Amino acid sequence: MTAPPRGPRALLRLLARIVPSDERSEWLEEWEAELEALSRTNEAARTTGARPGERSVPSPWRFVAGALPHALWLRRERLHLRGAVQDLRFGARILRRAPGFTLAMAVTLALGIGTNASLFSLVDGIALRPPSGVDRPDRLVQIARSYDDAPRWDNWSWPAFREIARADDVFAGVAGYRSASLLVGEGASLETVSGLYVTGRYFDLLGIRPTTGRLLQPADDAAPDGPAVAVLGYDLWQRRFGARPGVVGETVVVGGRPHRVVGVAPADFAGVETFASEPEIFLPTGLLEHTGVADPLSRWGYSWLNTFGRLTPGVTVDDARTAVEAVSARMRAASIENEGVEVLLASGVGASPEERTEAATVSKLLMFVGLLVLLLTCANAASLFLARATARSPELSVRLALGAGRSRISRQLAVEAGLLAGLASVVSIPLLGISGQLLPGLLPSPVSVDFGVDARAVLAVFGVGLVAALLFGALPATLVARRRLGGTQRPTARSGSARNARLRDGLVVAQLAVSLALLAGAGMLGRSVLAASAADPGFEPRGLLVGYVDATRTGRYDPAAARELYSRLAESVRGLPGVTGVALASQAPFVGPFTRRGQLPADRPPSDELVVEAEAYFVGPGYFELLGIPLVAGRAVGGPEDTGREVAVVDRTLAEAFWPGEDPVGRSLRGIEGPVRIVGVVDEIRTRSLRGPARPTIYRPFERTLSAGAMLHVRTDGAPLDQVAPVRGRLAELAPGVPMAATADLHRAMVTSLGETRTFGTLVGLLAGMAFVLAVVGLYAVVTYGVNRRTRELGIRLALGAAPGRIQRAVVNRGLALAAVGVVAGLGLALLLGRALQGFLFAVEPASSTVLAAAAVLLLGVSALASWIPARRASRVDATTSLRMEDTP
Amino acid sequence: MPRPHGVTSLRILAAIRDRATYGLEIVAETDLPSGTVYPTLGRLRRKGLVKARWERQERADDEGRPRRRYYELTPEGARVLREGVERIRGIASELGAAQPEGAA
Repeated sequence: MTAPPRGPRALLRLLARIVPSDERSEWLEEWEAELEALSRTNEAARTTGARPGERSVPSPWRFVAGALPHALWLRRERLHLRGAVQDLRFGARILRRAPGFTLAMAVTLALGIGTNASLFSLVDGIALRPPSGVDRPDRLVQIARSYDDAPRWDNWSWPAFREIARADDVFAGVAGYRSASLLVGEGASLETVSGLYVTGRYFDLLGIRPTTGRLLQPADDAAPDGPAVAVLGYDLWQRRFGARPGVVGETVVVGGRPHRVVGVAPADFAGVETFASEPEIFLPTGLLEHTGVADPLSRWGYSWLNTFGRLTPGVTVDDARTAVEAVSARMRAASIENEGVEVLLASGVGASPEERTEAATVSKLLMFVGLLVLLLTCANAASLFLARATARSPELSVRLALGAGRSRISRQLAVEAGLLAGLASVVSIPLLGISGQLLPGLLPSPVSVDFGVDARAVLAVFGVGLVAALLFGALPATLVARRRLGGTQRPTARSGSARNARLRDGLVVAQLAVSLALLAGAGMLGRSVLAASAADPGFEPRGLLVGYVDATRTGRYDPAAARELYSRLAESVRGLPGVTGVALASQAPFVGPFTRRGQLPADRPPSDELVVEAEAYFVGPGYFELLGIPLVAGRAVGGPEDTGREVAVVDRTLAEAFWPGEDPVGRSLRGIEGPVRIVGVVDEIRTRSLRGPARPTIYRPFERTLSAGAMLHVRTDGAPLDQVAPVRGRLAELAPGVPMAATADLHRAMVTSLGETRTFGTLVGLLAGMAFVLAVVGLYAVVTYGVNRRTRELGIRLALGAAPGRIQRAVVNRGLALAAVGVVAGLGLALLLGRALQGFLFAVEPASSTVLAAAAVLLLGVSALASWIPARRASRVDATTSLRMEDTP
Repeated sequence: MPRPHGVTSLRILAAIRDRATYGLEIVAETDLPSGTVYPTLGRLRRKGLVKARWERQERADDEGRPRRRYYELTPEGARVLREGVERIRGIASELGAAQPEGAA
């Protein structure tokens, strides 16, 4: 007989300890027999000289090493089979038996989980998800241009687009689009919808398939004078055409011209831009000729086309970057208007790199706030859970006495935590649906993203739920394992529960700290919005009504006739009661349509570094007086004396950029339309946002405007929006069917230009409110718990003659002490949050002492109130009843 | 539908197709590590595809060694093995690498 080697046998004995006890002896017997057989085989091989390679028999050590996974497998399987099912059943029963506790936990956790999942779907929508319905978005690249030191994601002119499309070695195709607000229908059914002019390969390169009919093709591009065609967006098809499949071939009137419907886009396609309204109708770019823009397809200087390309298989973005350098060079050589132009590429579509950076900042901030809320709700849940586990101490003690292991009880509590988190996750899914509907309204600008509940959102819910369960469930489970819960002591003994009471104090302090930070954040954002309302933009925005009219969109006016109509409209509105002044301009500050143009001084040789991008305003007579923009030198423009003359007024920022310390009047600028002479200088105004430095601005006579519409500025002596109906009435008299869009109270527009601040203010404010309530309720619960525990002691002290007032003060002071610690910790957090919010603040310091002090006072005040209620009860304890009472654990 | 059995399970089932045998034999025949063979046998037992029985003590005594545990296919195990082999043949032929008949 061959004795198996000793070492491996000893190892087997050791491993046998892992195997569940009832299977241990059989397990060991089997493995020992196998080991013996192995030794036999090896022995036989040595004596007879077995042919190598025929059968592989491992060495004894290697063979026995396999016993470890076997033993572990048996052990693990046992845990799964017996423990998990039992724990789950028992946990469910425990939770059912305490419906109040279960409900409180589920609601608390659902708030935290729902908030985080909503924030996730917001972040997912604006920063992570590629545009829906698009095939292989990772193979698409955005193509934009830069023409000065700071790269900017600007669009292209038609000739430039054609030049880019020639780079067919790296691009499988190039397509462009331009959004436009279009008038659809006639007469009573007239409505303004957001439309998209697209080049022929737009749909093909995105991989979009039609719902019915066909989409636009290169052939549609080629014939601008051919029959006009249109593709309906899915929503417009549902809304205006009753989702009839037979819509193909029907006629839709767009901009006063009949268009033949050739097909319908799919439901999940919402264009490629995240931060834009969902397009509802698609037209070929060739039709842009009819919109009143003079010669849009031949001028280098008229940039209007957002461009993207699909990379040829195997080509990387870097390859493409190298290839388009040649394109940049060809463009620079083709026209003086392409001075310093450079083609920029970025992978993906949806948001430009600038927007992505912004979205990433916003996302990080949202995630930070979400984390605070999650921590807060988990602290609250842990506190509740701990209180309950303490109350269950007798039960846990009995189970321990009956032989349950501490690890088993820890696991039981962890399973209950998991069940609660699961329940809360389920509860928060409908919450997610509600927030998905509210989110778009909260955002500062339109987005094409659908925030509905989808698989990703549900996954996020359960992911957050799991994190929550780990955060709040780990604590009581650890306490059991560390013998601080469910001890063998009598239920009335104090040591463990006193320490646990301290732990609950700590949790409440944490909640108070987080809620203070959120309150301070909300306060800073709120003050920013208030400050924006009082800000001085360089002109008088109060009492100013603006409204945009573009008569060419109806198809009945050419640009000259439209400009004539705008002048007549201005004259007519001037006669309205309550109107004190009227002026025309191409755009309005804070409202748009924003237009920039590159400028350079004419007295120096052109070079890239000299180009300054200036806001380009085309203004009519009386514009500067109407807005209250002070003239600092020379004269204004826009009057009849400027007819046919190339003149301009610049603001001080632009003048300083080119001629620091000198008088710019009489000098000339070279814009894209040729040289213009400067006749005056005005103070700078805020044009797009109240934040950041003023942008250089140039004002030219309105008759030189390049856009087809006009922004009517009306100064009123009452509420500006009250004049909307009378002004529209005058317009209807002069030109029936021409709509006025973008009517706005300029002061209100200025305040809402800080839209993200308002959005954040609302979000953080909501969360702060929630956090505040949770924290105060937590404090109340802890103080009440303390009073209940001391009922007997308080009764005795009162019976011995202690003044009720002193007892009240002692209890309130204890609550305030907790709140004070929370405030101190919260100030640190608030400073962190303030720094994170800095980019969204206006005229408020991130560490604004006023805001911090106000938040601290509010929190301390309400804490005092929350402590006073149990304190009053404490001072009215009746000694005899309290002595008869059993101790509460 | 339950998840189809993996190649490892099928190789172990095939090793005991014709006769009941003990663990070491299976390790040697399949060339799988022992740490894979025993847990897999355990799983196959739980699913009722494999039966385990101890050999008679007298027989072990005759050979002067400890008694061994033998594993054999149940009818269900035989069916799963058959189906598994067919499935793998199907995949192989789909991939254009049809095996010669009889090479399991």
